[in-house]
Amino acid sequence: MAPSSPSVADTLSPSSTPVNSDNDLQPFFVLHKASSQRKDKASTRQGKVRKRNELSLSSPQSTKKLEGSTIEECDHHLFQQLKIEAFGNVWTKIESTIKDVLRDLNTSVFNDIQQWVLECFNATALIGELSVAEATCSFPALNNTNPGKLFTALVITRNIEFVDDILTFEELGHFLKSQGCHVAVLSSIEFSVKNGIAGCLKALLREFIAGAIDSADISILASWYREQDHYNKPLVLIINDLERCCGSVLTDFILMLSEWVVKVPIMLIIGVTTTVDNTRNILPSQALERLCSSKFLLGTPAEKMDAIVEAVLVKQCTTFNIGHKVALFLRNYFINQDGTLTSFIKALKVACLLHFSMEPLSVIHGRLAEDQKEKCALSPETMLKYMDELPTVERNQMVDQTGKSMAQSLSEVLTVRKLWSTAVLCLHEAAKYSRVRLLDLFCEVLNPDLYLSRDSDCGVGDEKESGLSSTGDPCQQYSVMQSSTFICQIVRKVRDLPSGRLHQLIKTWEKLTADIAEIHEKLKTLQSSVRCEDEKSSRKSSKDISKRNASRVSPYTDKDSRMLMSQAVSFIDLLVGLDIIHALY
Amino acid sequence: MDMEDDDMEEEEFEFSRDYFLAKESGSSRKKSTHKLTDIDLVDEQELREAVSQIEPKHQNEILTLIDSYRKFYPEWLLALRCGFGLLMYGFGSKKAMIEDFASTALTEYSVLVINGYLHTINLKQVLIALAEILLDQVKTRRKVSSRDLPKSQQPLNSQSIEDLLSFLDEVETENNCFVCVIIHNIDGPGLRDSETQNYLARLAACTHICVVASVDHVNAPLFWDKHNVHTQFKWCWYHVPTFAPYKVEGTFYPPILAHGGANQNVKTATIVLQSLTPNAQSVFKVLAEHQLSHPDDGGMETNDLYSACREHFLVSSQVTLNSHLTEFKDHELVKIKRHSDGQDCLYIPLAADALRKVLSEIS
Repeated sequence: MAPSSPSVADTLSPSSTPVNSDNDLQPFFVLHKASSQRKDKASTRQGKVRKRNELSLSSPQSTKKLEGSTIEECDHHLFQQLKIEAFGNVWTKIESTIKDVLRDLNTSVFNDIQQWVLECFNATALIGELSVAEATCSFPALNNTNPGKLFTALVITRNIEFVDDILTFEELGHFLKSQGCHVAVLSSIEFSVKNGIAGCLKALLREFIAGAIDSADISILASWYREQDHYNKPLVLIINDLERCCGSVLTDFILMLSEWVVKVPIMLIIGVTTTVDNTRNILPSQALERLCSSKFLLGTPAEKMDAIVEAVLVKQCTTFNIGHKVALFLRNYFINQDGTLTSFIKALKVACLLHFSMEPLSVIHGRLAEDQKEKCALSPETMLKYMDELPTVERNQMVDQTGKSMAQSLSEVLTVRKLWSTAVLCLHEAAKYSRVRLLDLFCEVLNPDLYLSRDSDCGVGDEKESGLSSTGDPCQQYSVMQSSTFICQIVRKVRDLPSGRLHQLIKTWEKLTADIAEIHEKLKTLQSSVRCEDEKSSRKSSKDISKRNASRVSPYTDKDSRMLMSQAVSFIDLLVGLDIIHALY
Repeated sequence: MDMEDDDMEEEEFEFSRDYFLAKESGSSRKKSTHKLTDIDLVDEQELREAVSQIEPKHQNEILTLIDSYRKFYPEWLLALRCGFGLLMYGFGSKKAMIEDFASTALTEYSVLVINGYLHTINLKQVLIALAEILLDQVKTRRKVSSRDLPKSQQPLNSQSIEDLLSFLDEVETENNCFVCVIIHNIDGPGLRDSETQNYLARLAACTHICVVASVDHVNAPLFWDKHNVHTQFKWCWYHVPTFAPYKVEGTFYPPILAHGGANQNVKTATIVLQSLTPNAQSVFKVLAEHQLSHPDDGGMETNDLYSACREHFLVSSQVTLNSHLTEFKDHELVKIKRHSDGQDCLYIPLAADALRKVLSEIS
């Protein structure tokens, strides 16, 4: 891999060599096949490394001279392999977390839909089973008393970008399959003018009946459903994006299905990205009157985004983190331009790739992610073990002390990171009352400028330290911060919260900080004072029994609730304080 | 006040007079019979010769620049191995550089190259080739071949594109086994329709396929929707201007400065016609002779052509004639014009001289 190798010059003018110019005129050609010794190479590489390690123990200098560039190359390959593994470990973890989060968000809607499917299935079963003769004839069976109506679930995605919901509908398909339905998922591409009704039918048959079917004939589906006890299970067809379908093709398709509905009692689940009213623009009335529709709502992209940010960027303390600039870029791109989770996730993936590609020591991280399941921080010893395996460390015989101190600090970083994420989560709990999005809050707490401005005013910092016991006006403490920041908004809202809500908030904080001693202790001080208030107020309220059934706010007197509020605000201040959130910088 | 009003009126009058004068002179200019195509340009052959004699400039700098990209090869390989597709953009031919990357850094994997700058690319053939490569690898790696053969043991040639794609996606093999597809000019003329791009996106999303592509058109990203870009191609964009001449890529574009007219058209028409069956050639002759003898007609009606061809025993049915016509239309030898009476007329888009030349060449 010498930089000035002549081969570049050769390849620069490919047309000069006869072999290449032949290939240039081919629509496609095989440049080369995989070298078969790849596996042997890898094993010898590892062998070499092991051998080298043994040798290096005796005389590191001579080994270097002997093996020279081959060692470099081996190291390089090993290192590359380590990077790929590290990226794989970290990204698989992030990806599966994202999937889990999205699945959890959709669970209740999915359950509702499944319930609906069952109800519809029972309703169609009431019509009664067809006789064999009726079921096997190759034309639709319709009785006049029961005009063909298709049970349809319109799933409002509340997101104009269909790309985020492709996965949702796939998951819905899997979910319904696991609940014992026959499920077909058709994309809007199938409902194009070019494909026509025949294309849709073929795709439908392909989905339900495995194996290649050339003829587009719905009677095949009817007889398949009739045979082999398939009719015990509901038939569900999912079309993921109504707006992208061609209206006329979809209309024909719906009319045809409704004619066959007695023999093929299929249920439609249609994704709608805009509003239900929009179905009227796409489908004519003759198709609409065949639909017996129900409505379901999915979560908004902003909700999904907050859940993902919480799970991936705040809670997961071992996998890779993003800095303020990257976070701000992602946020602005999401809010101002793109608005899709998909591109946010893709950008996160690119950031992850760049991290592993540019930071040499990041490979340790990958191992950590793989090894550390539930623990919040690894012991320095384990980390040292991983670092020892790094090729550079092996070759240079890094001084033990440096390695140890490095491992120590890495372990510390992880502990601090855990502290940080708890603090951010506590803030987010408070932010929910003022409707501040976690993504915004996340960007703000990463902003180093915010801390610099607070740093500069030491006097106020001291005041804050004592803020926990003082009953002074809390907004004075935030005078250094710009009043437009989200944290200020949160604090202002907390000050206005009724005591009942405040009480709830403190309870949630208690849960969040349960295993973090540093924060929990501070909260305890706050709690003890709250308990005092509680006792006082209960004594007071017991005097007046008629007031007992009043709202939760009533047990507190004005003075008490002001006290409670100032305690809560002091706690937030403690969270934002230099020692926790700032500790990462 | 009156004076002012008069002035205003006069001004307006002048303005409107100027306007109509300008309009008149404009329309008189429009009547000119000169056409852009009448400009006498250089013959293509001559132009190509001249182009080939241009001394390339800054060769050393270009070489150094391309050479400097070599240090990024490990980074690109990492991106590729991490599941991204590489999309190279920037001025200059990137063909040589990408192929150099493949033969330096991707030796462990099989590499298939698609030349997107060509006009006809059969995607199904590409998929068959890919499936064959992957099957070979599975066989050699695991020494078990029977279980992994595509569905129902069909030969690859007879499978549909859907089947091939699902085979490429589902074939069981070890994780490390990839086939890399290099697509030069993914925005090239042969790959420019949305169906092909969709198939390419699905190909890129297959588990054992990774894609390296280059784009040159500024609007190339308009081919893809967000699903294509983020979840199928998973592009990582790399700006790699090479400033190398588009020698190979440009071969198949007629030079703008060359005389696009007669000579070139005669040549291509002759080549196409010579590759067709004698019967098809004769059908073309019938149409051409009609066009030469009736220069003022809009063309020949399909029915007239059919009866003329039947008289000469060239076709036995409308179906055979239609198949010939489709062939002609595909190669732009014949075009359809709607006549004023609503009938579709066939005509050959060549000037009379050129047409005579073509006829003399093929007979």
